[in-house]
This record gives sequence, structure tokens and C-alpha cells, in this order.
Amino acid sequence: MALDIGYDVVQVTLLSLYVSGCATTVGSLIGIPLGARIGLRQFGGKGLLKTITYTMYGFPPVISGLVIYYLLSRSGPLGSLGLLFTPTAMILAETLLVIPLTTGITISSVTEVDKAIKDTITSLGTTRRQGEWTIMKEAWVGIVMAIMVAFGRCIAEVGAAYMVGGNIQGQTRVLTTAIMMETRLGKFDYAVGLGVVLLGVAMAVFLFLKYIQEKEML
Amino acid sequence: MIVVIAVVAVLIIGAAAAVVLTSDKKGSLLLATTTSTQDSGLLDYILPTFEKEYKCKVLVVAVGSGQALTMGQNGDADVLLVHSPSSEATFVQNGYGTNRTSIMYNWFVIVGPDADPAGTKNATSALDAFSRIYDNGTSGDCKFVSRADNSGTYTKELSLWAALNSTYTKENVTQWSSTWYLQAETGMGAVLDLCEEKNAYTLSDDATFYSRVESGLIPHLNITKTGDSKLKNQYSVILVNSTKWPHINATLAKDFLDWMSSKAGQDLIKSYVLYGHQLFTSNAPGYTSTSLSHTRMTVAASVPRTARG
Repeated sequence: MALDIGYDVVQVTLLSLYVSGCATTVGSLIGIPLGARIGLRQFGGKGLLKTITYTMYGFPPVISGLVIYYLLSRSGPLGSLGLLFTPTAMILAETLLVIPLTTGITISSVTEVDKAIKDTITSLGTTRRQGEWTIMKEAWVGIVMAIMVAFGRCIAEVGAAYMVGGNIQGQTRVLTTAIMMETRLGKFDYAVGLGVVLLGVAMAVFLFLKYIQEKEML
Repeated sequence: MIVVIAVVAVLIIGAAAAVVLTSDKKGSLLLATTTSTQDSGLLDYILPTFEKEYKCKVLVVAVGSGQALTMGQNGDADVLLVHSPSSEATFVQNGYGTNRTSIMYNWFVIVGPDADPAGTKNATSALDAFSRIYDNGTSGDCKFVSRADNSGTYTKELSLWAALNSTYTKENVTQWSSTWYLQAETGMGAVLDLCEEKNAYTLSDDATFYSRVESGLIPHLNITKTGDSKLKNQYSVILVNSTKWPHINATLAKDFLDWMSSKAGQDLIKSYVLYGHQLFTSNAPGYTSTSLSHTRMTVAASVPRTARG
């Protein structure tokens, strides 16, 4: 069955991993430091910023896709880059989607670090940066969870991926857009097969992240 | 600091992709088209020949008719293959595209349940069939599912209602009772599945219908009316305006148009067979068809996977 599908499933799977991996990485590199700062420091409007971050968990992927579409379209402000319908466009749209997730979960994780530990760290007379770093290490499980949730959202995302990627065979076709196409064609068996592949890949990635999560605990 | 690293990372990835894309751009053509040409398997069947002959790669983005035209308008595609005659005319008039050329047509079909409660099999024309569906629908004897999604198929459906009775405007039709007129706002395949469940009629393109039948998803639906000139579905190629958008691959776009309307392209389009049905009839200006039986013979060995199921 899989051999008869007409395009390279391995290539589609690798592209799914590449796009989701990049978006998760960039989204984590932005969201985790941002979340740590919001969670650990006191400033005016902190509550509002947290509410906005949590609200953005519900940001519709298609809207994220539309925003990137208008930015990257030839008629848009970044049109000269020629990035629409490329994997980079998909990475950008998915990054936009996961930044609130990585930020928000990091805020919760660092906030939940035991007050006693925080007091100990402060009493040790470390600099603020060193202290924050130590608290983040204490919040490690939650922070890796942020990365997991972000990856989960990316690998399963279809609306934005279709909109700015275009499901171009050999270029921007990922597992989710292929599943959508096969469903449209009434080839439900292919769609389910691709879904199983997606879950298999996700499981491998989550097992890896879980390993990192537990290793750092020791 | 880490934010800076992140921004740098995005820029590096972007730059890398831009380099890849520009190096690839010379030999690639971005074709915006409707889902029907891709989903029917036609493009998988004809494009390899074009790609081989012109040593290029055709990147297909299959979307709704309206979205394909918007892509052309914004300079996000090099060439369009669409089927929405009135919108196409406006598109060209507004200077967004040039060289609009008829390439081929296929058929819309009126599809209904086995029992055919509206008697559309005996209809003398497409309009007569619609009239029977309306009469039986309003009296509670049958149902009709409408795409209601601004697809080319929905545009065709609206034009048929309007041709039947000048008061059946879009405003009017969308107010019809949902006891018989179901507005699905979804894709063709899903609408056919809905008709199967609800024993309803619909207007479909023939390719999606045949694919759905072959998949065994709609065992109780049949084509009850087709072949009426009002059910013709004309496809055209339009070049995106390269004066307005200098970055597009105008040379290859013109090559594509010329090839599609050439005898070689037209013969190939006509020879595509899906589940035993010839789907597309070539009708580029100046094309005269040759013996069909010969071209059909060559098809059997090389039917693409969409046709094999």
C-alpha cells in the first residue's frame, strides 16, 4: 500500500521532522527565556502579559498562516525574499504558533519552583542571573514539557502548513498536508497509514525528549 | 542574549532557504491550479512529459479557484490553470494576467440516489433536472446538498439555478429551507459522502464522483444527468502579468501555455483515462483532434497511481 502512494513517504516524513524541529527549536529559544523572565521578575502589567500569553494558546493556526502569508506574499512587505511556499514559510508560521506555548508553560514551571528553594538561592548571595539559571534548572521537567507540547503542536499542524507551504510534492508536502489530501481524495486507508507514521515519528521524538527530561533530574 | 541567538537562527534558516530557492528558481514553474486538476490525477499524468521536455520542475499548488486567482493577482504564482470563466475575465480585465487560453473541458454531473425520487433520469436537460429537484425538494420528496463554498462547482450550481428562474439569485438560494436544501460549505468528496448518507442530490465534477465510486464510499449514488452543454466545465491557462511582477518565470510560463495548447499537450490531456472514463476533452484554439482510439491504447500501460486506486 505505502509503496503505491505515488510520492516519497520517507522524504515527506523527514520534511515533517525538519519543519517541526526547526519551529520547535526557534520557538523554544525565544519562548523559554521570555517565559523565565516573565515568571521570575516583578514588573507592571505582568498579570496582563500572562493572560495574553495564555489566551494565545488558542491562536488559530490558519490565522497564523494568513499572517505569514501576507508578510511573505510577493505583494507583501517581505515579498522580495521569495519565501512563500517554502519550508521556511512553514517554519515561521509554526514558530509563531508555539511561542505562546513555550512562553506560557515556562512561566508556570518557574513559578511553581518551591518558594523554599528560591529563598535558599537568594540567601546564597548569587547574582540575579545565576539565581535565575538555578531556578530554571529546578524547573527543568516543566521546561522540557514546554518543548514537547510545542513539538506536538507543530508535527500535528495542518492549516498553516497547507496555507503557506502549498502541499507541493517534493518541496513542502508534510505528513499532515498529505493526510488532508488523501482524505479529500477519499483514500482513507492512505490517510490512516500516514497518520500511523506520524504517530510513530512523534513517539520517537517524545521518547528522546523524555530521556533528556529524566536524565537532567539526576 | 538568547533572543539574539534565536533571531540569528531564523535569519540563517531563511537565508539558506532563499539561496536554495533562487538557485532552483530558474528551472521551476509555480503552477496555481484548482484541486480538481490535481485530485483527478491529470497533472501527475501530463506534467512529467513537460518537465522532461523543458528540463524543469513544475511546483503545483492546488487550491480553490478563487485562491488560485488571488495568488496570481499577488504575484505568488507564475501561471494559472483554472475553471472559473467569469472571474477569469475580470482577472484579465484588471490587468493581473495575460494570454488567457482555453485548454480543455470536463463535465459536471448531476448525482442522485438509486431511487431517484425527483425523476432526474427522465429529465430532458440539466435545467429540467434542477427544476424537478426544486419541485420535489420544496414538496419534501427529495434533498439537495450544495457546496456553498465559493468553489467553481458552487458558481456553476448558482448559474444553473439562476438560468432556471431569474428570481433564484444567490441571496434567494441561500435562504432556501434546510429541510431540503443543505448548504455544506465543504469539499466535493465530503459533499458526495453527505449525499450518500442523506439520499440527496448534488452537482459534482465527474472526476471526484468516479474516484469516490471507485473507493466504494458512495455505493447508492448514480449520475442521473450529464452531457448537457450547460454542464460543461471549461479550463483555461492564464499567464501572470510579468510586467507587474518581474520576478516570475515568464519564459517558462509561456512555454507551459504553448505546450499545453500544442498538439502534443492536447493529445496527452485527451488520452488521460480515470477508471475507464476519458475525463478531459482538449479544446485549445486551432486544435483538431485525431483518432482517439490510438491515443487511448498507449494509456493503459502508464496510468498513474491515482487512477489505479
